Amino acid sequence: MRTTAAFAIVSLGILLAAGAPVQAHHSFSATYDGNKPITLRGTIVKMGWQNPHAHMYVDVKNADGKVVTWEVESAGPNALIKQGLRKEDFVGAEIIIKGFLAKDGTPTVNASSFTLVDSKKEFVNEPQTP
Amino acid sequence: MKRLLIVLSLALGVHAVTLAQTRPDFTGTWRYNQGKSNPNTSGNTPNIAFPSQIVVKQTPTEISVDSTSVRQQPVSAVYKLDGSKVAVQAPPGISETGEARIDGGNLVITSRRSFSSPAGDIVNDFKEVWTVTGNTLTIVKTRIQSGDSITEKAVYDKV
Repeated sequence: MRTTAAFAIVSLGILLAAGAPVQAHHSFSATYDGNKPITLRGTIVKMGWQNPHAHMYVDVKNADGKVVTWEVESAGPNALIKQGLRKEDFVGAEIIIKGFLAKDGTPTVNASSFTLVDSKKEFVNEPQTP
Repeated sequence: MKRLLIVLSLALGVHAVTLAQTRPDFTGTWRYNQGKSNPNTSGNTPNIAFPSQIVVKQTPTEISVDSTSVRQQPVSAVYKLDGSKVAVQAPPGISETGEARIDGGNLVITSRRSFSSPAGDIVNDFKEVWTVTGNTLTIVKTRIQSGDSITEKAVYDKV
């Protein structure tokens, strides 16, 4: 009886873990459109400092004055730290991002490189940076 | 008379050599060589995305370029080598025009690509300089958006 209960609990745990949201590690070509390079300038309102990719949420003002929040996929924290960037450098900072638009047309880009305008801290991708 | 013929033959020969030098042939199927290309031209975060394969057909007046990449939409164009502007067959949602000319031993392609995005209409200008040496094609590509530019180099091997 005890064995059955333990098995049920472990099974439930595995099922719950499988259903939990995870940050997928995907290839550039599956998600982003290499034919649509884009440069954005805006203010970082939120930073997701997690592996395998850090995610910035950036308010960008359109030509018509409307503000759109973009999700910007960057390299992981280790690659950012290696280039002198820290988690606390991001939220509230103005940023210029060079990257590629998502295939699905949503306000999502991957960042090939970016510059924090005030601190002048830069990130430049390295070969095969995850 | 004999001397005149020799001089004319030499002149024609030199002219033919000059023409051959100024008309490089890019015809062939070219495959991206990661090891010889700049590192930021492939992988998950390229500065400029280069096609995996390019198929080129060239005549004295035109050059057709078909570019394909893994899991990306193909782009193709038939450029007039007199430098006149042509429409590029780009994926849906992208509008592109381009022009090509032979400049010395190089092919120079300039193009303007526009598409809409959640940030409004985006316009990118590109300049590509192609150089062929034997079975190697080198492309130096510059992208300009809002006055800001990036340049990268990719190398292709003839298949």
